[in-house]
Amino acid sequence: MKITVQAEVFSIFILVTLLFIFFFIANKKIRKADPFEKPKGIVLLCAIYVQAMSKLTSDNMGPTAAKNFAPYIGVLALFMFTSNISGLFGLSAPTANYSVTLTLAGISFIMIQTTVYKSVGFKQFFHRFIEPFPPFIIMNFFGTIAPLISMSLRLFGNITSGAIIMTLFYTFTGWVSGLVPMIGGFNFIGIVLAPFLHAYFDVFAGLIQTFIFITLTTIFIGNELPSKD
Amino acid sequence: MGDVGRGLVAIGAGIAVFNGVLTGIGQGYAAAKAVEAVGRNPEAENKIRSMLILGDAIAETCAIYGMLIAFLLIFVFK
Repeated sequence: MKITVQAEVFSIFILVTLLFIFFFIANKKIRKADPFEKPKGIVLLCAIYVQAMSKLTSDNMGPTAAKNFAPYIGVLALFMFTSNISGLFGLSAPTANYSVTLTLAGISFIMIQTTVYKSVGFKQFFHRFIEPFPPFIIMNFFGTIAPLISMSLRLFGNITSGAIIMTLFYTFTGWVSGLVPMIGGFNFIGIVLAPFLHAYFDVFAGLIQTFIFITLTTIFIGNELPSKD
Repeated sequence: MGDVGRGLVAIGAGIAVFNGVLTGIGQGYAAAKAVEAVGRNPEAENKIRSMLILGDAIAETCAIYGMLIAFLLIFVFK
């Protein structure tokens, strides 16, 4: 049996190591920081980020549930954003691999279903599938697994199509600049135009997709909570 | 699969992605309505944003299925 290791595995290891080093340094700095002084530098950055994440989760889920979910959402957003823009640094973006996005969406899916189970109980959890009457089981089944498919495919499709379009763009500009005599194979058109496309397809699309993913996760979980106070 | 078959698969993938057009129109309409709603009622901005993203996500599922079929056509039928 032949085992192939995909390039995304190495990018995930590199990203996780970098994030771990960042978290380690931030932890040391925050522990040493004086709570009665104005925060600055990395401590300020972390404070702003944590505040933004708690606000986003408590807007969609209510303040009590947000305390449990905000840490996961914050780490998820950080990992997803660094994965999305890692194409800029020469790594193959992990989120351009369907296994990674399916795993991330699967975690969200399990969290949603666990929340449903906790809020309605064992009997009602299965009874929901045959409401309002038994033939609806088909629709309810697909309605239940639709978030899993749509969330994973949305992220995967956006990042993958960005990568494919950038490859097409580099190939095309390489062909065009090959037509110019004297310069030869040097791709000068691509160098001029690529930064704008990278800014859109990698940074902007990555940020928007991260935001949509975490917002959808919090909204889906918030909808299933018993009461939002 | 011959050259003609490969071309037909490419055409099929193009048609499958084409349903993104109507999704784009629908999402643009939803975003326009959300802007109107925020203009009329600025204090409800957070609620409107989350509703807009939820509705757009459900509407986008249709386009994503088209994209999935296009990917399957391109990468499975070589």
